[in-house]
Amino acid sequence: MITEGFVIGLAAVGLFFSLSGAVGILRMPDVYCRIQCSTKAVTLGAIPVLIALVIGEGPISNYGGRALIVAVLLVILSPAASHALARAAYKAGVPMWSGAVRDEPSQRRSRGSGS
Amino acid sequence: MTDIYLGVAIAEIGIIGILLIRLAIGPTVSDRIVAVNTISTQSALALLFFAAYADRTVDLDVAIWLVSFSYLGAIVWSRYLERGLL
Repeated sequence: MITEGFVIGLAAVGLFFSLSGAVGILRMPDVYCRIQCSTKAVTLGAIPVLIALVIGEGPISNYGGRALIVAVLLVILSPAASHALARAAYKAGVPMWSGAVRDEPSQRRSRGSGS
Repeated sequence: MTDIYLGVAIAEIGIIGILLIRLAIGPTVSDRIVAVNTISTQSALALLFFAAYADRTVDLDVAIWLVSFSYLGAIVWSRYLERGLL
């Protein structure tokens, strides 16, 4: 019974963060803000749901073990992919939101060439 | 317990439905890559939970494949955006 309570609680937390990440990807004005929302949806949304599956099935069973593997893969791969994607979007010249206040790489580049 | 798993899987598919709108209207390629990334993660979770609900061990390997190769695809796409083919 208490296992079921843990599973329901962790799944509710994960689904809430996944839903808020999806709404953020839909509503944010900019590619970079959307990348930030997608990483939040993965780390705070997917990991509690997978932990819920591990607790519900036990870590040694088929489903729990596979859920642990998927969680480790997500933790390793998601920041790498998001970083590569943000850098590629910046270098490809995707425009920032009109209300953005800082563009630090271009400032650094202009200062380096000026001095 | 298995009803909870089915509910989580259905909720993940609803979240995928929200993300499909961004995939359709995304102005640039990068928006669509972000949406596809998140869609593949959520669909892997939905597959895991559906496998635990229906007791189908086959779907677990599909989920692991989907996670690892979707992120590999994102890295390849960003490399392509950064410096073209090759």
